Amino acid sequence: MPGFDLDAVKNQIEQDAATVDSLLKLEELRVKYLGRKGVLAELTAGIGAVPPQERAGFGQKVNVLKNTLNALVAEKQKLFSPRSGQSPASSFDIGMPGINQNLGHLHPITQVVDEICGIFTSMGFVAVSGPEIETEYNNFTGLNIPLEHPSREAFDTFYLKPAGGNQRQRYLLRSHTSPVQVRVMKTAKPPLAVVVPGRVYRPDAVDASHLFMFHQIEGFMVDKGIRFSDLKGVLDVFVKRVFGKDVKTRFRPHFFPFTEPSAEVDVSCIICKGKGCSVCGKKGWLEILGSGMIHPNVFKNVGYEPKKYSGFAFGMGIERIAMLKYGINDIRLFFENDLRFLRQF
Amino acid sequence: MKTTYQWLKDFVEIKVGPEKLADKLTMAGIEVKSIQAAGGDFVFEVEITSNRPDWLSVAGLAREIAAITKTRGRQPAAQVKLKYKKGKENLGILIKDKKDCPLYTAKIIRGVKVGPTPDWLAKRLELIGCRSINNVVDITNYILFTYGQPLHAFDLDKIGHKAEIVVRRAKKQEEILTIDGVKKPLDENILVIADQAKPIAIAGVMGGKDTEVDGSTKNILLEAAIFDPVVIRRGRQKLGMQTDSSYRFERGVDHQTVNIASVAAANLICQVCGGELTLVKAAGNRGPQEKEIILNLEKVSRLLGVDISSAQAKKILDPLGFKTRLSGPGLKVSVPLFRQDVKQEADLSEEISRIYGYENIPLTLPAFYPQNQDLAAGNFISSLKNMLTGLGLNEAITYSLIDRRILQGFSGLPTVIEVENPLSQEQEILRPSILPSLLKCVGHNLNQKQEDIRLFEIGKIYRQDQGDFKEEPVLGLALCGTASIYLEGGTVKDNLGILYLKGIIENIFLRLGISGWEFKQSGNQAEVYLAGKKIAELFDLSGKQLELFEIKNKHVACAWLCLESLENSAKLEKKYVKPALYPGIARDISLLVKERVSAADLLKAVKQAGTALLAESAVRDYYKGKQVPEGFRSITITCLYRSPERTLTEAEVNPLHASVCQALTAGFQAQIR
Repeated sequence: MPGFDLDAVKNQIEQDAATVDSLLKLEELRVKYLGRKGVLAELTAGIGAVPPQERAGFGQKVNVLKNTLNALVAEKQKLFSPRSGQSPASSFDIGMPGINQNLGHLHPITQVVDEICGIFTSMGFVAVSGPEIETEYNNFTGLNIPLEHPSREAFDTFYLKPAGGNQRQRYLLRSHTSPVQVRVMKTAKPPLAVVVPGRVYRPDAVDASHLFMFHQIEGFMVDKGIRFSDLKGVLDVFVKRVFGKDVKTRFRPHFFPFTEPSAEVDVSCIICKGKGCSVCGKKGWLEILGSGMIHPNVFKNVGYEPKKYSGFAFGMGIERIAMLKYGINDIRLFFENDLRFLRQF
Repeated sequence: MKTTYQWLKDFVEIKVGPEKLADKLTMAGIEVKSIQAAGGDFVFEVEITSNRPDWLSVAGLAREIAAITKTRGRQPAAQVKLKYKKGKENLGILIKDKKDCPLYTAKIIRGVKVGPTPDWLAKRLELIGCRSINNVVDITNYILFTYGQPLHAFDLDKIGHKAEIVVRRAKKQEEILTIDGVKKPLDENILVIADQAKPIAIAGVMGGKDTEVDGSTKNILLEAAIFDPVVIRRGRQKLGMQTDSSYRFERGVDHQTVNIASVAAANLICQVCGGELTLVKAAGNRGPQEKEIILNLEKVSRLLGVDISSAQAKKILDPLGFKTRLSGPGLKVSVPLFRQDVKQEADLSEEISRIYGYENIPLTLPAFYPQNQDLAAGNFISSLKNMLTGLGLNEAITYSLIDRRILQGFSGLPTVIEVENPLSQEQEILRPSILPSLLKCVGHNLNQKQEDIRLFEIGKIYRQDQGDFKEEPVLGLALCGTASIYLEGGTVKDNLGILYLKGIIENIFLRLGISGWEFKQSGNQAEVYLAGKKIAELFDLSGKQLELFEIKNKHVACAWLCLESLENSAKLEKKYVKPALYPGIARDISLLVKERVSAADLLKAVKQAGTALLAESAVRDYYKGKQVPEGFRSITITCLYRSPERTLTEAEVNPLHASVCQALTAGFQAQIR
């Protein structure tokens, strides 16, 4: 009587019950055994085939199975039911890794650019961009940098081979973001307050602090009555917001062909707090910005009346600021794009 | 430039110590890079900006120190009486073009004894890093560093027999052996000093070996001149030379100093080396006139943001060598000749603010109002970058200049833009595609044993277009390796393939409100079209294509997208759409289809057969492997039927769904499972 081997059925029930791990599976189990056409119903219906002397014992055993099953289902029901208020004791292990959504990372240069542009836009500046392929006029002449003068030495430049055909202009890769000053002022009238982040290029030999491509942010503000003291005030706010309230700023005279007066801006060394260390060359100060009042010749070149308007401009290298902020000692790391580097920011 | 504390003291009373002096100089615009104690003196290394050639000398720095420390200077007088014995000899000076050489002076000193230099002089030169040669040469150098006027001493007897000095451009194919022992080819861009036969010096740069002063020299010709800065600059650049002389000529030397310095040099030579001055000759133009600038102090005060009175301005400017006269509310300022950099009021504002002290100017904030000009580039790029990092990509920034060799294996590229003066092969061209740079990053990271590489870059690509240069921003994507996805049910490992890229791109489209895109596949690459225009390409690269990037046994899925198209097609204004009012009926179709049947085609057929009542349809599952015969795959498409007007009944949906199934079985020889 293989169809009525109750021990086999019992074993099967035990096996099936062990796999029940959800309400859904429990329902499947219930239907399989206790359902209208379930195993137990089948057994009861088949009682006629059991020899009469064994029928009572058989019926009893089937009842026991039924009761056991009912109890099991009820118990499991409680276990899986959300209303029970108790989670199954070992259904998760908080020591396992969280299911990761793998958030990516913005490049540190982008983060510094965003931070700096954010500070200036909160002060009313707008961020604009400009082309990297520039004319000699916008990169030099328009900015009051004579083409054949030692003042150009700070701006060694990559020139581009002329395109085939009759290209009249000589083109170059901008060596600073300042040509965007000329572009913006030629197309818009004051008041203006603009920041320009972007890539710049210089044929510098590559080492831990020099590369042939890097990033700058240029900024300028033009209106009636803009003062040198405003330049100092705005840049002081900027420095404190980037490097912290305790950082001191120092403005010292310098020379840039496109500003007059010109100022180099130093911040008290953020590594040694101004005591003098290897990063600041024992001076206690770090040079981070070039700035000044826009030269009247630049205004003339863009068609502004120098008598009517004044303004200031500034520029800074992003890599340098990022290196100081994050303690990075080799500029080349920014462009290797090693994931172990990128994932730190 | 280097100078010393004691040397400066020859020209100015200094009441502060070296450290304090360095600090004051730095804050006045003469950055002191270092101070070193040496030989009982202090050596200052200062950085002189290119607009201030007058600071390239001890005397010039001393004048500045007198002004900023408010002490007395001992400036050399403009006229020095010269005692000399007038001989019978004569010397012709012929200047071919006075633009090249506005002034040339020569002094002949006869009977000098060339020998070692006195200790005090040799020591000073040594402190500033100048090697001692002999007494005559050292004196010319000493005077150069003291006054900023370059000088040159020729051995008179080695100059061609008929004494004439010619200042002219070199001729093609002329050459000269300079005192550094190197033969230099010359041409008409280079200005030379010549005798009647040949060049004897490269004007303003370096003297010739043939006329050099050495142990046997008896008579010398001492040259002090002014040469055109641009001519000197071009010439020395062409020759690849830079000397203390050319450095000063390029920046401009002062007419008056020629006289002061050459007289001082002649006197010192006669005193130290013996000999007598027998001839003084000069040729050229008269010096320029002093300029006068009317200074409006009200304007200066307004520009600086601090009140400066005429009296204050006068007190600042006079010690710097300006001559000032009160004139109405302003000041008439006459600019000394050594300050050719001062051309207008703005330049005087700088002088005033510099000496007044930048640190004494207050911090203010401009009265400013919000911008109303439509200049801003917007934050499209910024938000795009944030979406991409949210999708699990890391941002790379790579060089725009690349080595053209890494383009091998890329086809269909435009004409590249070449750099005229690269420093190395790695900077030869501007990249015409963003992908090689990203592949290099992938290669680097594989080398560093990274398994899950997902990178993006937003940057420009460059090309020639009908004789013009074009630069355009693109988005580059590159994926390589395996993603380990931890799930509640266990870990799944998956290869980062091209469908990941597709998912990323579609996510961006959806977020930007872009619709109607189409992916088209050809072999192992695909293109994305938007309104009929190709805006992106996706590649599944492997094998040989990746060899150059040191990527072995891996696939890289990479893509570029045109950023302008993305930005122009973006529809960022949102409109609320009510969720469907009536419930729909969902039906799944499990199909067994040949592998080459595209899922996109299946969906198209489903949409067509499903009529307007088919609200949504999508691939819900796909499977290849066991239980699916070779060359086939199993795809499950889910269809949601819904009406905006009523609740659909099974009776309505069943025949419709049957016709959808029919379209698939008939059109694609698909088997419904």
